[in-house]
Amino acid sequence: MANLTTRRRHLPQPIAWLLVGLGLVYPYQPLPRATAQGAKPVVHVFLHLDAKSSVVEKMLQQSLPDLGVIVFGRFRDFEEGLTNGHPDAVLSIAPVLQQHGKTASLQGQRGGKSTEPYLLASVNQPLQGSLAGKTIGFVDLLGHDGTQAFLNGLLKTTDIKVKRVAKVEDLLPLLEFSAADGVVLPSSMLARLLERTRLAIKTRELPGGQVGLSAVAVLNPAVRDVVVRSFQKLDTPTKRLLGIDAWSVQ
Amino acid sequence: MIGGKSMNRQWAWLSSLVLFLAGCATTGRESGASLEAASPITDPPARDGAPTLFIAMPSSPNFVEVRKSLVAEVQKNFNIHTFAVGPETTAAELSSAIQAVSPVCVVLMNNVTMNLYRQYQMASPSATMPPAVLLMASFIEEVQAKLRRATGIAYEVPGVTAFVQLRTVISARVNRVGVVYRPAFRQLVDRQKALAAKEHVELVPVSVPNDVTAEGLRTALHNLAKRKKVDAVWMLNDNALVRNAEFVNDAWRTEMNDARLPLIVGVPNLVDPNSPLGTLAVVPDHEALGLQAANLLFDLSDNNWQVEGHPVELPLSVKTVVDLKLVRANFGLRPDALKHIDRALE
Repeated sequence: MANLTTRRRHLPQPIAWLLVGLGLVYPYQPLPRATAQGAKPVVHVFLHLDAKSSVVEKMLQQSLPDLGVIVFGRFRDFEEGLTNGHPDAVLSIAPVLQQHGKTASLQGQRGGKSTEPYLLASVNQPLQGSLAGKTIGFVDLLGHDGTQAFLNGLLKTTDIKVKRVAKVEDLLPLLEFSAADGVVLPSSMLARLLERTRLAIKTRELPGGQVGLSAVAVLNPAVRDVVVRSFQKLDTPTKRLLGIDAWSVQ
Repeated sequence: MIGGKSMNRQWAWLSSLVLFLAGCATTGRESGASLEAASPITDPPARDGAPTLFIAMPSSPNFVEVRKSLVAEVQKNFNIHTFAVGPETTAAELSSAIQAVSPVCVVLMNNVTMNLYRQYQMASPSATMPPAVLLMASFIEEVQAKLRRATGIAYEVPGVTAFVQLRTVISARVNRVGVVYRPAFRQLVDRQKALAAKEHVELVPVSVPNDVTAEGLRTALHNLAKRKKVDAVWMLNDNALVRNAEFVNDAWRTEMNDARLPLIVGVPNLVDPNSPLGTLAVVPDHEALGLQAANLLFDLSDNNWQVEGHPVELPLSVKTVVDLKLVRANFGLRPDALKHIDRALE
């Protein structure tokens, strides 16, 4: 479906608005996915970061001129893209790569470590003791069953109810509305959460809580060199956006 | 030139109103069913033994988007049977469609569909009803109270969500937010007040009569800005308060231009740098709403479809449209704000 902005270049504004009003053009339909130009290797990206997917995509496209970059904001779109889009490489975090049977060729690092702790955040007091029966919010990284299994591992219990949200920022309403007892998030996302809210957020580190940082899996060996070289040349602001400060070749 | 601009505004307002009537606004009016789908709705192939989820909905794009996201989440667990509701659909047609597939749960989208379902329930007072999940309708809490075995997700974006979004965009303080409301919206405003307090935002309500005039609304807005010293104003999606272009110009635009306060709106059409009014539009994220509905269905399924006592949930996810020109000129743009805005207009 056409994007409104695109249409407005061709149609008088009133007509464009009318089309929106009638539902014939929907302004929030995601842009058609970028397709790689020429013979550029295509990288699919699925990361939940402190920025909208469109911002991440633009930044990566500028920083990786030799690659075609497609950023997915939703798990289902990423899965569909992986199945039907046949990317040459995937950039995501370790649990996502592992679920899809992919091995990292490049592992992101921050402060010399390739993992970061995940935290359990709650309001007013940390969620101590048994988490049995608790409702826990988490960004949908791995689908219904995969996310449940992932959180079971992180929280060392199978008796939790998981509420998946589409975006990192949607974790806050879960706490504001008391729709969850706590939310799980990477430690690198805590500052952003605290910046957004005036709730008294308390956290605790999780028992099984070290999770791999951003990593690149090359699926097409023929393009491994160009993919690895391109990511290794990423500038500091882009690496910071990805939550890393260096790469290690695996 | 002036005539052309005026014509443009008329067109824009016509489309705005159509959009409201299509179900984006909390109006109490029933519509949305008459719009045709951009593409046909096709259910995934049914599998033997899988329980059936019955989805009754209008076929206009917002509903289709929620359905698409919902179906993608639940199709491994349920067969899907979608029933398109249009202006000609009767309660009898809806009830026979439901009875034909014996669903484990029904999902009902928009107030028209829910009214038909209510007629079906009233016509069969002793029949066992499947649980119902209500989506994308005005005042779902009130609809829930009139139905047997129903729960759902509210469609109105909570004020607190909008206020937090505004805080992440502008540098100016957002501690007190004013809202003008008619009597029908009193309960909604009361609930928003309590939620906003959690984020240390004081919601300052001013009531106006049902038949409020432009002058009456202007006085209420003036009162909020000058006497109650609010930091921002939140416009409810109430058609009576934005009934036409002339009314909006006479009341909202006149007073907000004078007050120079950020205005939060619930429809993107009211954010337009060429005709400044809304500073920030906060609207439901329909794809995410489908995921939230899927969560709710899995939750109900895990609890043996016990919907009784399951409160209506609040929507978790929104999209934002910002008039950057207005923000930069009057309220200051926070560093990094652009990373978190869905559509920035200037």
